[in-house]
Amino acid sequence: MQIRDPYKGYFFVLPALILLITILGFPALAAILQSFNLMWVSKPAFTLSSYLRLWKDAEFLASLRNTVIFVSTTVTFHLLLGLSVALLLNLEIKRRHLFRVLAILPWTMPDVIGGLIWKFIFDTLPGFVNGVLIRGGLRVEPIDFLGIPSLAFSSLIFAEIWRGYPFVMLILLAGLQAIPRHQYEAGAIDGASSIQSFLYITLPNLKYMVIIAVILDTIWECRLFGMVYSMTGGGPGYASQVLSLLTYKHYFQFFNTSYAASIAVVLAVVMLFVSIPYLRITMRREI
Amino acid sequence: MSRRPTFWISIYLALGVMGIFNLLPFYWMLSSSFKTEAEVASYPATLFPKLFTVGAYTKIWFQEKFVYYFLNSLIVSMSTAAFSSLVGAFAAYGFSRFRFRGKTPLMTLFLASQMIPGVLLVGPYFKMLSLAGLYNTLLGLILSQITITLPFSIWMLKGYVDTVPVEIDQAAMVDGASRTRTFLLVVLPGILPGLVATIIFAFLLSWGDLLWALCLISAKSKQTLTLGITQLVGEFRTEWSTIMAATVIATMIPAVLYLALQNFLIKGFTEAATKG
Repeated sequence: MQIRDPYKGYFFVLPALILLITILGFPALAAILQSFNLMWVSKPAFTLSSYLRLWKDAEFLASLRNTVIFVSTTVTFHLLLGLSVALLLNLEIKRRHLFRVLAILPWTMPDVIGGLIWKFIFDTLPGFVNGVLIRGGLRVEPIDFLGIPSLAFSSLIFAEIWRGYPFVMLILLAGLQAIPRHQYEAGAIDGASSIQSFLYITLPNLKYMVIIAVILDTIWECRLFGMVYSMTGGGPGYASQVLSLLTYKHYFQFFNTSYAASIAVVLAVVMLFVSIPYLRITMRREI
Repeated sequence: MSRRPTFWISIYLALGVMGIFNLLPFYWMLSSSFKTEAEVASYPATLFPKLFTVGAYTKIWFQEKFVYYFLNSLIVSMSTAAFSSLVGAFAAYGFSRFRFRGKTPLMTLFLASQMIPGVLLVGPYFKMLSLAGLYNTLLGLILSQITITLPFSIWMLKGYVDTVPVEIDQAAMVDGASRTRTFLLVVLPGILPGLVATIIFAFLLSWGDLLWALCLISAKSKQTLTLGITQLVGEFRTEWSTIMAATVIATMIPAVLYLALQNFLIKGFTEAATKG
């Protein structure tokens, strides 16, 4: 039951609303205006030049492609690993508490810090992977993981797969635990095999959780910044460059504010588009 | 269900593999941080420290401004968490208990604002803070961090307020308490576990931030831990033991918080993420 008392409602919501407008709404609007060269310039004049320049900029196109590859690969692996581990943890295992702690651990690490550690792990000389390869006699020469373009990008993806999958796992585990037990019991009575009960009971029940996990994870991966910055810095060249880091570079290193804003707007539009189903599902449950 | 022993063996095997995979970077970070400078630079790498030393820790801790980094991170994260949870709790109560014009669009707006990438906001934010004289201040950084944590806090807290029966509010108000008093003295204590989870979650988001600190702070004495450490990498280059000691310090607080409060957090977080 809710109270129809508009003024009190506004009273409680107002501080948050003011903050939302000043520290979120205004900068977002300013960025859009900047991208059209309409704000904080000596002679504001509407122009699409920043956007037109995007499609001729090899680094932007490479970053766009990298971002798509990065996000789709990490999210796919997060879902596969997250679902597998969630299924394992949902069993009647001993020491479940311990395993759950282990399962969450990577996600507790700030992404910047994770990036630094993986950078060291993949380091050419004193790094862990090369240490294992050489001591194990698998390689004579060390591999320059972060110096070779394709390997650098794959290493970055690998590191983020490691760090991000517990997030998806947590959401799916919550989903698994919400599936009513009697559905499995009914399935067992009807003689369903484990695979059948997985396909016809677990998966359909988990559908919404999977959608939500995938969308939220996609959003997180789209805006991932710290790990890319600390692990590869987008390099070598722009082999592992992504849109969030490229925006930062144009804003704060090259001071191309209008151009940087246009890259950020492209990223934001893509992200909002991706999040529409999530917004719908959540709001529908709310009303 | 009864299963064969081979089934359970493979399950524990899989869990073991998962554990090793998850722990490996932690192991590498910890073991490297206890190595000597000479050993950590040796090639090929040693997989266990030959000689344990805490030299890297004392070195990093007494490094010029490291203690500042640590304290700044604590100040910024705690202020962000406290402020966004307080404002968020008010809004959550408003959204949970009242019907008013524009409520649904407003809630959608708060939800959608979580999807705005930081890099879109950080440029204009830099300009705004410069104009307001807040560039390179912790206050400016705290304000910016709230943009990340506030929308999340509102939605997470609303889920908790919804679980408190309206009858409790009504009983308090019949006893003569005002709305605000009811909220502060009856509803807030009632959602204490959820409130704690929200505060900690905001703290962790803020603690892990790099982007905002990188763009809005220039003075060394005002840098946060994540920012300070990325800058140290430039200085120390191959002195990985020192860098790893710094990362251990930066990872310790979130890891301890998660582990100590995990049941709390997982419940609160998954409910917020999934129920909305």
